[in-house]
Amino acid sequence: MRYRVTHQTDYTYAAPVSVGHNLAFLRPRDLAGQRCLGNLIDFDPVPAITNTRTDYFGNHATLFTVQEAHRHMSVVAVSEVEVDRAAPMLPGTSMPWEQVFDGLRRDRSPAGLDALQFAFDSPLAAAQPMLTDYARVSFPPGRPILDAVYDLTHRVFTDFAYDPTTTTVSTPIDTVFAQRSGVCQDFSHVQIAMLRGLGLAARYVSGYLRTFRDRRDPKLVGADASHAWLAVYDGAGGWTGFDPTNDQVPGEHHVTAAWGRDYGDVSPVRGVIVGGGRQQIDVKVDVRPV
Amino acid sequence: MTALDTPTLTSSYGEPDGVHDEMKSGDGSVRGVWRELAERMDRLGDAGLSRRWAQGQRMISDNGVTYNVYGDPRGTDRPWQLDPVPLVLGAEEWRGIEAGLVQRARLLNAVCADLYGPQTLLHEDRLPAELILGHPGFLRPCRHLPVRDGRYLTFYAADLARSPDGRWWVLSDRAQAPSGAGYALENRLVVSRSLPGVFRDCRVQRHAQFFAQWRQTLRAMSPRVGENPRIVLLTPGPYNETYFEHAYLARYLGFNLVQGDDLTVRDNKVFLRTLGGLRRVDVVVRRLDDGFCDPLELRGESRIGVPGLVQAAWAGNVAIANALGTGVLETPGLMPFYPGLCRHLLGEEEKLSGIATWWCGQPKERDYVIEHLPELVIKPAYPGAPATGLGGVHIDAIFGDTLSAAQRDEIAGLIRQRPEAFAAQESVNISTAPVWHGGRLVPRHVMLRAYVAATDDGEGYAVMPGGLTRVSRSADSRVTSMQRGGGSKDTWVISNTPVSDFTLLAAGDGSPAATAVAHDSFDLPSRVADNLYWLGRYTERGDGLARLLRAIAARLADAEGSDAGPELPALFETLDVVTLDAEAKKKRDKSEESLPPAEARVRAAMSDPAVAFGLAPTLENARRLASVARDRVSLDIWRILSQLGRDHGPPDDDLGDAIERLDRVVTALAAFTGLGTESMLRNQEWRFLDMGRRLERVAQGVAFLRALVVQPRPNEGLVLEGLLEVMASAMSYRQRYLAVPAASPTLDMLLLDETNPRSVAYQLVQLDEHLEKLPRPGLPDGRRGEDQRLLLDMLTTLRLADAARLAAADEGEARDALSYLLMNLGSQVPALSDAIARQFLSHNAPSTPLGGMLVPPALIDRPAEDDAAPADEGDTA
Repeated sequence: MRYRVTHQTDYTYAAPVSVGHNLAFLRPRDLAGQRCLGNLIDFDPVPAITNTRTDYFGNHATLFTVQEAHRHMSVVAVSEVEVDRAAPMLPGTSMPWEQVFDGLRRDRSPAGLDALQFAFDSPLAAAQPMLTDYARVSFPPGRPILDAVYDLTHRVFTDFAYDPTTTTVSTPIDTVFAQRSGVCQDFSHVQIAMLRGLGLAARYVSGYLRTFRDRRDPKLVGADASHAWLAVYDGAGGWTGFDPTNDQVPGEHHVTAAWGRDYGDVSPVRGVIVGGGRQQIDVKVDVRPV
Repeated sequence: MTALDTPTLTSSYGEPDGVHDEMKSGDGSVRGVWRELAERMDRLGDAGLSRRWAQGQRMISDNGVTYNVYGDPRGTDRPWQLDPVPLVLGAEEWRGIEAGLVQRARLLNAVCADLYGPQTLLHEDRLPAELILGHPGFLRPCRHLPVRDGRYLTFYAADLARSPDGRWWVLSDRAQAPSGAGYALENRLVVSRSLPGVFRDCRVQRHAQFFAQWRQTLRAMSPRVGENPRIVLLTPGPYNETYFEHAYLARYLGFNLVQGDDLTVRDNKVFLRTLGGLRRVDVVVRRLDDGFCDPLELRGESRIGVPGLVQAAWAGNVAIANALGTGVLETPGLMPFYPGLCRHLLGEEEKLSGIATWWCGQPKERDYVIEHLPELVIKPAYPGAPATGLGGVHIDAIFGDTLSAAQRDEIAGLIRQRPEAFAAQESVNISTAPVWHGGRLVPRHVMLRAYVAATDDGEGYAVMPGGLTRVSRSADSRVTSMQRGGGSKDTWVISNTPVSDFTLLAAGDGSPAATAVAHDSFDLPSRVADNLYWLGRYTERGDGLARLLRAIAARLADAEGSDAGPELPALFETLDVVTLDAEAKKKRDKSEESLPPAEARVRAAMSDPAVAFGLAPTLENARRLASVARDRVSLDIWRILSQLGRDHGPPDDDLGDAIERLDRVVTALAAFTGLGTESMLRNQEWRFLDMGRRLERVAQGVAFLRALVVQPRPNEGLVLEGLLEVMASAMSYRQRYLAVPAASPTLDMLLLDETNPRSVAYQLVQLDEHLEKLPRPGLPDGRRGEDQRLLLDMLTTLRLADAARLAAADEGEARDALSYLLMNLGSQVPALSDAIARQFLSHNAPSTPLGGMLVPPALIDRPAEDDAAPADEGDTA
């Protein structure tokens, strides 16, 4: 499938902002089964300074600084992405999860080290005993890892209610867990923390989801906003995505933008401003097949 | 020689068993390098030492040497604890330590360069990857970030302790923003000045060369070659535990002391916000933990950092010392690997070993630690990291042998739950040294923090001769933390050869470059100007209040219970107006009877914290502002103000005591003003201090005149005499008029006369001159700013006014013309203050994260403008 993804973020401030420093992850990554054919980011006002950098995780970071007084800022990213994901590995054929655990601690290859870092706590997804206990039910001894994670994903999907009114960007995961509700970002953090509690490597994926307006599949949630899910290291050099919001393994309808240890590493647009007063943020995402 | 039967300080010193004592060897004899000092101390005896040390203590208090202890009810400044007896080390032994420290600095630098670069140490499994990748202080945005000459560490410190066999060990590494070097400098200053002869005769190696070298290295790091680099010292602010030291070092080294909000990043470059506009910054010496340095890329919640700093470093436009990310080196988890890494990276054997350390992230080590808990000291593997996943448990250092069985189980449980977050170290019985306590020398455990600075050859390091010695609180305590109430010592490395007298304490090193940096007054950060401006206002307000209170108290004392003069009620009314004592005003409006006795009202205005604008809070505010601007005010000025703020307990019932105290306040403030006039450079710092003073004098003058002259009172002569006294013009009046004061000449003298330094008009003339001289980038020549136009309006009104007309009034009626003029003037004062703030001081808007809440920074309290009295205690507390 080929998509055109439009991601528009608008900030409106009550008082003029004299300087705004921003960091954005708005260019989809290239990876097995996904190619970014083109990406254009449009800013208003035009930043005095724009820098791009490849970050620690290999994501495309765009740093831009607006230095003229402004009351409104708009960032529009348009990307064309080709998604052709191979069918996911059959869950039953993956390694027993304990073996993945052991392998992570022995493998010092670049890929192994890259995976290992996602086994540790990060600020927004730190292991907690109650989360680990919840996860353990899905991880009996010797169970193939993807089997187990699939089961866990299904339980999170079933036990947690999708309800945007119950959380904000700063709701900690223990609250999400206690109230059993939240949005895609919360479910992903919760499940990542569960897996880390078991010593497994799980990373946060920020991206987009194609939704169907004709209600053919009304269960797919994530329209008009960026989406988030997680990926788990399978012990054999590969990562498999899991979308606890939709109880799916991401396939042709998911577009990966960036990944990190948690949302804090890859939030689509983040900034620090001088001045501004009250702010209003408006995000629009459109994923359209072309 | 002292007779054997009279015990001396050193002969009666009993060193404890089982440890190495620094001064005495096992057989009870004084060690060689200590002999000179021991003899001199014995000769001084307890009495001599007491006398000398009283002077040392006074210096500490006068110089305002403080250490902020978190959670101390005494607030933000606790006097620094210093023992007069230094720790003495021989040159021979020191050379060994020195070589070990230089090697360790090179080693840690190389490790850091690898971790933020190719990470071969992880790929080759020479370091457990878990230790680094799971470390919250491993800053991913800083990997591959260019660091000039690969100098990650330009300043490094190690905590050293000596075991019973006499060997020195490294207990911990301080790699990102080591603290204490400034205290070491101050300790040296105090001890060497209190015991000058002893210090000279002992041939103690000096510190100045070390700091000069470090400064040279920092200058050489500037990305702009050939330009005079601007170096700033970035502090978290006055509430940080070591703020004193930040201010001290900044002044000592000639750097600008700045807070995050003073800096701004534009065009990938760092700038300092000054009165003269934005000034490029080349080198940032940071005293912030690295995670706090940039809220954009490092820690979003940080309100004390500089947004965009990381990107500026990526662009190569600023050097940061120490490099961002060096905090990762502070984990004790790395220590067990250093001997191997030293061989691998440097091809050398380790010269100074770390104490035996186990990182619990490795299964075998974890099991060992859990099994041997009683013999070990448990430490967090990630010091300073938020304790996520530990249920918020924050541990410092836990001595295993002090734990009960239940506590040990609890710790073991925590370790099992999250092993990588813990490390353990061998518990060493660290050495003792004599501390002067209760008239004798008693043994206390000591730990030495030694400092290493990069030299400007691109690879070498130099060691400060000596360092900061920290002392345990009691003989059986092994904790030598200043946070935990321990003390400190100067550290003397005895030279075999004559020592150099090189010093940085004078005005810089005299080189033209250094002088230019230190004296470019355009560099005055707007925040500092703001503080000085308010310092001027508060001191002047204190002065006016003290004069008013003194006039009241003197009249009360004269009256001795009989009918007080007719001017007293008028003066009391004025007092209520300027102290905003709403309660008293309400009572007065109802009936005279319910008011507290006059003496009590004087005392309340002097010391009752409930009186919002009383004398005590006013002086306390002045002291606080001076402490924040401490790198800008001279020591003498600081001494005056620090005394003032403290002398405000309730005066006793005797009015004489109150008068005496008020006299002291007036005299001290006169000394403060005099010092400002006589010894401050006529630069912008002085201008802002003086502008604050002038503006406050206008505000007060207007308030006094409104309260005492607008409504003619019976026996007006006496009232006017009181007014002239309060406004310090009584003498001038008598010289000029030789008569009982009358309204018209009094108004002329206090309001309109531009030759009377106490008149309102005079203040406005002075203010006009200041405003004229301040830089106004962006304003065409000859055009007036908003503040100047307002001032011109005020001044013109006074110049056109006629004293006789203002004084004229119908029988029993108020002086309408005067009332109108003063009311206008009174409302223009806060407007002028606002205009000045907008013109010069408002560059400091706080930054907020996008999508975040607007939380104003609480680090600097700015008094709010108010019509009657321009500060609101609610905002400044």
